[in-house]
Amino acid sequence: MEGVAMKLPSFKTLSPTPISVASTFSIRRSFSFARRSSSLSAATITADSEPVSLGHRARKDFRILHQEVNGSKLVYLDSAATSQKPAAVLEALQTYYEFYNSNVHRGIHYLSAKATDEFELARKKVARFINASDSREIVFTRNATEAINLVAYSWGLSNLKPGDEVILTVAEHHSCIVPWQIVSQKTGAVLKFVTLNEDETPDIDMLREMISEKTKLVAVHHVSNVLASSLPIEEIVVWAHEVGAKVLVDACQSVPHMVVDVQKLNADFLVASSHKMCGPTGIGFLYGKSDLLLAMPPFLGGGEMISDVFLDHSTYAEPPSRFEAGTPAIGEAIALGAACDYLSDIGMPKIHEYEVELAKYLYETLASVPDVRIYGPRPSESVQRAALCSFNVEGLHPTDLATFLDQQHGVAIRSGHHCAQPLHRYLGVNASARASLYFYNTKEDVDSFIVALADTVSFFNSFK
Amino acid sequence: MAASISSSCCVSSLRLIPFKRTFFSSVNPPSKNLILRPIPSFLRTIVTFQKIPTGIVSPLPASSSPSSSVDLQPIEELPPKLQEIVKLFQSVQEPKAKYEQLLFYGKNLKPLDSRFKTRENKVEGCVSQVWVRAFFDEERNVVYEADSDSVLTKGLAALLVNGLSGRPVTEILRVTPDFAVLLGLQQSLTPSRNNGFLNMLKLMQKKALSLEVKAEEGTSESTTDEASVVEVDLESKPPSVVEVEESESVSNVVALGSRGMRIREKLEKELNPVELEVEDVSYQHAGHAAVRGSAGADGETHFNLRVVSDAFQGKSLVKRHRMVYDLLQEELQSGLHALSIVAKTPAEV
Repeated sequence: MEGVAMKLPSFKTLSPTPISVASTFSIRRSFSFARRSSSLSAATITADSEPVSLGHRARKDFRILHQEVNGSKLVYLDSAATSQKPAAVLEALQTYYEFYNSNVHRGIHYLSAKATDEFELARKKVARFINASDSREIVFTRNATEAINLVAYSWGLSNLKPGDEVILTVAEHHSCIVPWQIVSQKTGAVLKFVTLNEDETPDIDMLREMISEKTKLVAVHHVSNVLASSLPIEEIVVWAHEVGAKVLVDACQSVPHMVVDVQKLNADFLVASSHKMCGPTGIGFLYGKSDLLLAMPPFLGGGEMISDVFLDHSTYAEPPSRFEAGTPAIGEAIALGAACDYLSDIGMPKIHEYEVELAKYLYETLASVPDVRIYGPRPSESVQRAALCSFNVEGLHPTDLATFLDQQHGVAIRSGHHCAQPLHRYLGVNASARASLYFYNTKEDVDSFIVALADTVSFFNSFK
Repeated sequence: MAASISSSCCVSSLRLIPFKRTFFSSVNPPSKNLILRPIPSFLRTIVTFQKIPTGIVSPLPASSSPSSSVDLQPIEELPPKLQEIVKLFQSVQEPKAKYEQLLFYGKNLKPLDSRFKTRENKVEGCVSQVWVRAFFDEERNVVYEADSDSVLTKGLAALLVNGLSGRPVTEILRVTPDFAVLLGLQQSLTPSRNNGFLNMLKLMQKKALSLEVKAEEGTSESTTDEASVVEVDLESKPPSVVEVEESESVSNVVALGSRGMRIREKLEKELNPVELEVEDVSYQHAGHAAVRGSAGADGETHFNLRVVSDAFQGKSLVKRHRMVYDLLQEELQSGLHALSIVAKTPAEV
């Protein structure tokens, strides 16, 4: 019994109250193992005596995982690039378009009121997901990259002066390097980069020393998409605030995989992408503290973000609308809300716990393959790695590796620089291969990967 | 159904059609029997297939469009060695064996000296690094050398090198990427920058063309019975990769500037041509170093000339070109960088 996107019966008339539409579908939903945790636990009870792992249970909600590619079962190990979407999220998107698609914030009529409600509800869900105190601190963007650009152009251009310093690490994703390069060129600010220590993690001591009165912004990742290491954001925020600097957290690889509490972290800005957390592409968000957003000038201009428009000037709306010009990705935002629900139903602590175990298993089995070099820190008591491994095999180009794995074994990994060219340059390699997991992967997936990897290595070795 | 590698990182992608799906299931039984013979080692496979004369492998009927309705370039239009390679790959059905064949080619590829691993020789759009070098042999056939740090890409490069090396420019330019489909290596043929294989072929063709253009301009450096080599102060700085558009036949009509007008006048006056075409193609070369540094940087640096005149009667090609250059000496010394000349007599047209 797999959770598939079911074709909903066509309703000719919509019931007057918004809630009833949802309740009509809830009956169907409980049959798909997707949403309610109660149904999940029901599955466990009726299963065999052996406890079924989260991965096995969750897989049922992801139809895309049950296919063959190139004659082998698909083993999807590229969730750090983009995650797969459960049936519930797809349903939410479909439902929006089928039943209440309408432009938001503008109309008076029933459909548009409903769409607006659901859109704003999604905003609240995202706020709740990261424990923001107010949903007005969530700005919907196209993705995390756009969110960072928003901060760079809006906050950066009006706050950075010549000689001001922005601290980054060499391990940042391009989206958290390039916008700062552009803005620093325009403002005369200086970029400083924290390098790695011998554990192949960004050097925290170096970071601490770099922070000075000249520092205006520290923009760093929470979890690295290559090294699998995490940064102690809470401490970094304390150090930064001591000198009056702001902190922007790139949480693309953390929000989908663990509890992220922006109030606890006390970060000034935080960005994430929907498509990495079981949501659709085309939507992401910026979290910004209210007082910061209030002081920021607009990023893009147009409808929605204005208050009054005259020919020679306009006045602007309050945040978050101020930063949401034009018609938003309404369906996508609602589907992102559904993704937040889906993940919360399982429970982020549970997901994280499962992934920590899987991460260890991946690292250990991968490290046991001869000639494999994994980047990033070794997992230990004090160091927890994310469930991904970027690696190289001695004498084998990652592209060859990934191609063969895909062609002969149906294993999908990524090869390249993973949008972290400076990091690869720092590590002294052109490219690396990367296998990344999510809660719908299982131990068997890792086993299949390792077997396939061994076969690949021996194939290419026979040609040496 | 196989998901393509996302374009956020460029990849030289290589796909194989799984055995069941291949449209060469219509291949005659003799080849099939060949495949089913137990093959003890990888190397043996390769050696076996190399011994097969092309007679056994049934040649594809001309312009066969099997399952797809796409019209592929007929195999006969390919250079002979490339045809052989295509047929060889067609005879190898099993995907893994195709890989082995590919790797074997790559292994036997002559290594490229590191001094040729320059930016100009690098193939764009590959995460793996690929370099291609091209030069003329004595008979003005193009010789290629290539290298890559990825063995699969090296295999593909070797395919192209083996298939295209030693052939004249026109033949090389005629090759379309269609043959990649015939190989059964399901190379994505979308001309995006992510396509390493396509870009390799394009670069090789571009280099072949630029060799030809250079040779036309500077007249042949080869020792012919024309003892006198025209001394033209053209390539004082060697041009970098010629920025030729994909379809070389595209001619953007550019109004002639002052130099273009002067050239036209001079040639008309001195050669009394029946036909005269002066085309300013400087924009195609706007990138490379010589243009940027040229004095008299009015941007008019490269021209295509087509002259039909009785004045060329009885003169060799070299002598005709020399005549034109002599007439345009002044321009050549004041910023005109290169000419591509077609010089004919009225009878030859």
